[in-house]
Amino acid sequence: MVTFGFLDWLWIILYLLIMVGAGVLFYRLGRRSESDFFLAGRGLPWWLPAASVYATHTATDTPMWVSGVIYRHGLAGLWYSFFAGWCAISAFVSTRIFRRSLAYTQAEWNTVRFSGLGAELLRGWMSGWQVFMSMFILGWVGIAMGKVCQYVFGWPTWIGLVVFSSVCAVYVMAAGYWGVIMADFLQGVVAFAVILIVSIWGVVAAGGPSAIVSRLEAMGEGWRLNPLAFSGWFTGDFPIAWFLTMLFIALLGGFGMGTSIDWYVEAQRIQSARTVRDASYSIWWGTALVLMRNSLWAVAILGFYVLYPRIPDTADYEMAWFRIGFEFLPAGMLGFFFAGIIAIHISTISAILNLGAMYFTRDLYLHYWKQTASERELVWVGRITTLVLLLGSFFYGLIMEEITSWLIFALWIMAAGVWLPNILQVVWWRFNAWGYLSSWIANLGLSWLVVWVLPSFGLLPELPDYQQFWVLMVLGAAIYLPITFLTKPDDMDHLVRYYVMSRPIGWWGPVRREAERRGLLVRPEAA
Amino acid sequence: MAWMRRTWTPAAADEWTKEDWYTIVISPLAYILLMVGVALSLLLLPAGFAILGLGVLATLLMHWIIDPKLKVISSEYEKKQREYLEQLERAARWKEIGSG
Repeated sequence: MVTFGFLDWLWIILYLLIMVGAGVLFYRLGRRSESDFFLAGRGLPWWLPAASVYATHTATDTPMWVSGVIYRHGLAGLWYSFFAGWCAISAFVSTRIFRRSLAYTQAEWNTVRFSGLGAELLRGWMSGWQVFMSMFILGWVGIAMGKVCQYVFGWPTWIGLVVFSSVCAVYVMAAGYWGVIMADFLQGVVAFAVILIVSIWGVVAAGGPSAIVSRLEAMGEGWRLNPLAFSGWFTGDFPIAWFLTMLFIALLGGFGMGTSIDWYVEAQRIQSARTVRDASYSIWWGTALVLMRNSLWAVAILGFYVLYPRIPDTADYEMAWFRIGFEFLPAGMLGFFFAGIIAIHISTISAILNLGAMYFTRDLYLHYWKQTASERELVWVGRITTLVLLLGSFFYGLIMEEITSWLIFALWIMAAGVWLPNILQVVWWRFNAWGYLSSWIANLGLSWLVVWVLPSFGLLPELPDYQQFWVLMVLGAAIYLPITFLTKPDDMDHLVRYYVMSRPIGWWGPVRREAERRGLLVRPEAA
Repeated sequence: MAWMRRTWTPAAADEWTKEDWYTIVISPLAYILLMVGVALSLLLLPAGFAILGLGVLATLLMHWIIDPKLKVISSEYEKKQREYLEQLERAARWKEIGSG
């Protein structure tokens, strides 16, 4: 447990008041329309959504996860966080295409890109899945805060889960995305300052940068300084095959939409940017900051390793960065550190609360339930959904420990078998709603088979995760490609409208020619 | 044809061109160089400063290549955005939209 003084509590109370104040301040903007409540009126300069991308992807569990992989693998552990690299290509490809579609959500994009019953089934499935996943992620991130509060104050985990998510819900319900984005900017600045100060403190406590390097070498662990310290082609903790698969998934995933679970949050930031250019730069710079922040953390964790080498228990060394802050910062700064932890926590909670509410309001309530709803009514539905998501997250958070393996499975099936379809839907005109829908359904069954069922009967060896990815990709394609070719292409009128509006990359020849034939597009040399 | 185009017409900017592909290659390199460069520089390793410097150069080059094109795409697209938004709203509320 950590003892806080007056100054420490003052930092925390001031910070919480500023956050709730953001809700009051932007209440009038948030209530103007559905577009304001969920996309801040689509008018933000690139640096605001960029700050939000950074703040949202700095959650309470992120320093635990980064600490874990760096403590275990040294600087090579940075590559575990490089899955965020999908934004490198996405910022200039799928971000541009999605921004031009103007869809509020990925579920709505499904009906812009595809047509007919298949598209509507996809929209319903996608929005329901995202509402569920939002609640799930809120519970998962919330319970991480519960554990931090237990470590710091000795509180039962439910207190940390309930208190800080509830404070956050106040400004999300009041001001919607306006509150989220403005608070994210402030939280991003606070979180970055705290990460910088605490990490530098950790490096200094370990004797400084040169001492970390020389002590690691003296310990015979100089390999921890090498980001490319591979353990062989296919063997050991860090095989080259894993590294190449990771680069393949992360970078080429940028051509698609939904290849990373983070896409759904970023999609909201993309649409809130005022222009296509602002959208591209917000995604690129927000992620660049995330990657450089991970490097900062990594160096501090190397310092921690020098101070406390060879801790055997994962749960212990995953707390490395928090321990640096609470064990080495002076009195009066602990409250500032904890305010930073609150910033890290509620920036993620607020983003997911508003995102889940948007999927329910726009895609389920408006599209399938009440098409005549007024703007005012939609804002209120958004608020009520935010509250329901909050309450649901408490439930999930409290049972989370028993279902951690289910969560990993849920995230895994998001990435593996639908990775390629998520790209094909963007780059290939002939890929239709039935092909995409069947890839999701096939992946649900195949991932069970490949990950659990076949290995338990000895029909398939237990494969490392990167090999499971390739197996699932090939097996899935064997199902959705025949279904795509056996069903009709999407309606050409619909495809032409989408093509002219979004100008997608890839194999769109027949649609392009039809658009030119109708006089909707001209070749640049003829313009 | 110039190796790099710096002035764009709206119709030309809407096409996917070699400038996009240069960006698609340079952007991941910039991320990798910045991430590794920051870590090694904070450890005061000379290679880290060199890698970080290359990362900054790659980032500047990427912006120099793509920014003129993005500006033209953006300004042209914003002119059509209102009409597209109206279409989207009609579709969300199940109202008929004209074809093509």
